[in-house]
Amino acid sequence: MRSNKLGWILLAPTLLILFFFGVLPFVYVVFVSFHQWNPFAASPEMIFNGADNFRRIVFDSAFLNSLGVTVAFVLFAVISEVIIGYMLAQAFMREFPGKAFFRTIHTLPLIMAPIIVGSVWKLMTTPSIGIIPHYLDKWFGISMNIGTSAPAAFFTIVVMDIWHWTPLVTLTLIAALVSLPRDPFEQAQIDGANKRQIFWHITLPMIAPALIATVFIRLMDALRTVDEVWMLTGGGPGSSTRFLGVHIFKEVFPKTNYGYGSTISVIVLYLTIVVCWLLYVSMLAPRNNRKG
Amino acid sequence: MNYALKVGVSALALSIASTAAYADDAFWKKAAEPYQDVTLHGVTESTPPSNYIREVLAPQFEELTGIRVDIETTSWDQMYDKAIKDMEVGTGIYDMVFIEQDIVYSYLSRNFLTDTTKLLADNPSLKAPTYSEDNFTTFADYFRGENGDLYGVPMEAFIKIYLYRTDLFNDPEIKEAFKAETGRELKPAKTHEEYGEIARFFTKWGKDHDMDLWGTTAQAHTGHPASFYEYFESIAPTYGVYNWGIDADNNYAATVEHGGKMNSPEAKKALKWWLSMRDIAPPESNASTWTEVGTTFGAGRVAQGLVYGENAGWIAADESKSLVVGKVGVALPPLEDGILEEVENGKGYIGYYDGGAFGIPSPSKNKEAAMLFLQYIGQDEVQPDWAVAAPRVTNKATYDDPKVQEMNKELGGYYDLLRDKGYLFAGAPAYPFHAQVREAVSPILYEILTGDLDPDTGLDQMAAKAEAELTDLGYRK
Repeated sequence: MRSNKLGWILLAPTLLILFFFGVLPFVYVVFVSFHQWNPFAASPEMIFNGADNFRRIVFDSAFLNSLGVTVAFVLFAVISEVIIGYMLAQAFMREFPGKAFFRTIHTLPLIMAPIIVGSVWKLMTTPSIGIIPHYLDKWFGISMNIGTSAPAAFFTIVVMDIWHWTPLVTLTLIAALVSLPRDPFEQAQIDGANKRQIFWHITLPMIAPALIATVFIRLMDALRTVDEVWMLTGGGPGSSTRFLGVHIFKEVFPKTNYGYGSTISVIVLYLTIVVCWLLYVSMLAPRNNRKG
Repeated sequence: MNYALKVGVSALALSIASTAAYADDAFWKKAAEPYQDVTLHGVTESTPPSNYIREVLAPQFEELTGIRVDIETTSWDQMYDKAIKDMEVGTGIYDMVFIEQDIVYSYLSRNFLTDTTKLLADNPSLKAPTYSEDNFTTFADYFRGENGDLYGVPMEAFIKIYLYRTDLFNDPEIKEAFKAETGRELKPAKTHEEYGEIARFFTKWGKDHDMDLWGTTAQAHTGHPASFYEYFESIAPTYGVYNWGIDADNNYAATVEHGGKMNSPEAKKALKWWLSMRDIAPPESNASTWTEVGTTFGAGRVAQGLVYGENAGWIAADESKSLVVGKVGVALPPLEDGILEEVENGKGYIGYYDGGAFGIPSPSKNKEAAMLFLQYIGQDEVQPDWAVAAPRVTNKATYDDPKVQEMNKELGGYYDLLRDKGYLFAGAPAYPFHAQVREAVSPILYEILTGDLDPDTGLDQMAAKAEAELTDLGYRK
């Protein structure tokens, strides 16, 4: 009993902080999401409107467009990061000249704040003054203008995200690979397993927990991407890179549409939980069942 | 005798000046006595005038009064985010907020701001002898409430002007080529047709001579409100479409069908003309806000353009940033026939009169100390150096100061234009729903800019969207 009490006392500050800065704001957002509230409307007060905001969201083409481009972005970015991250992790497991230097350089983007990453990429991609459009034009005759071309803007953001976050995947997978026991691999080689078989039947299952944790982290981060996109394209051209985070920002801050903006936030949170749960079930549950 | 007389007069003048200065200093020190423990917190957009407040005026005020002043300069979006949250929730974090002219009506409608006229009337001991509302230009009227009282002390005011390169416009070879091609003299345009002709000529000239030179600027970002502002506040008015084409006296109608002008033939003509200019502007124009337009001009990449006055200063005079120092002239924007007469007769405006004021949020806990600071920055005495550092004029007397006159020459007569023709320009319409309608219709404008929508259909959609948003907000019945 005494140790329990001490435990609660030690936990209390954390729980209080979590309650005031995590739970309470969340409950408030859910509360606001059932209201019509724009402080600059003719009636600036909060008006309860039941599930109207949730009904509206289903038919809101701007929201659905944002959802679509966000899903596309998440798929392209996260899958690419996992594949490239794994390949780099495998490369770093071997010895080669300049490995330490390259690993340091490769990790540098991680320490940069997203808003800085957005600024740097904006400088590099601004039509006619950016280094990327300049050399694309000079070497390949490709005209790149992220101000007019939706695909160019979208894939620039994907590449920027891969550049920024692949090192995180690499580092977590290196940690996972380093901790693997050597015996199963040696036994598999003695049994005549080829590299593909070793990867699918030994490496992948053994690093799956680390891989899934990494995918969860990247998935959640990618779904709420705002800063880099805001800096690089502002959601444009048109609405082609208006990801959910940018859409919520524009709805809540410039439009001060607090009620509807809160509804979108709640829905996005719900979708994130569902996607992560589906991923968890599809990747870990079969493995757990096999154990059983 | 003569020498003695001169010395005597000089000594007398010096002693009078010293006494006056001492008296002023004495006022600030005495008035600030009750607020020695106060630290004033202000938030503003990071612009040259605001940076001058943070770097020069705030330290001067601190030294004079002992009241500490912490001015936070940040991005436009962040500034509004922080200020509105603070005032909405009533936390009182900020004692001073930047009120851009276009947001003041929203703030007033929510009683976010302190009535500075009343504050001084209720506290006569706070009134600085060197501060008077009469000193301000008419731009201050944008910050008056319905009762005529002032809710913000003007700190920046400028017009969006037609800036052109005098070195190019006066180049004999270019003048000759222009005349040979168009049959007329090369001089700043007065009409859209002339402007377009000049723009096309210079874009072609740049291409033919392998120069990084284009004929016009275009603030045509495809994902930023800057493009909304360029079209609605700088281009559409020159075609006779005012107040974004929304008729506030007619149930906030925006569509032609209901009596508005947002999708009128004039609006469509204006948009098509602007798009045609965008098409021959430098490639970065699709990613350009007001800042990048200034940068493009300062880099010598364009022959002419519509540029915010706040950028005209460094473009014309700052050699560390601009490649066209001493090579710029200013003029009124190009207009459709009959618009100038219409505006001079009191209907509409020909361009954007931008600027802002510093106001005291209602939840501030240090209103009196903040009022002292606002009076300090509103005095005639601090204006000339401020106007030289950042081209903005808010006080009538500033125009006549020798330093400002000198600067006026460097700016190609910008201050003269501001003083003499400023009345032709206007700030944003008095809408409390400014950002809300802007954000509702901007995505459609972006689609027009990317070519996904044709201008006619796009403007029809924008007008309908504006009405829908106004209905949602409860303004349109």
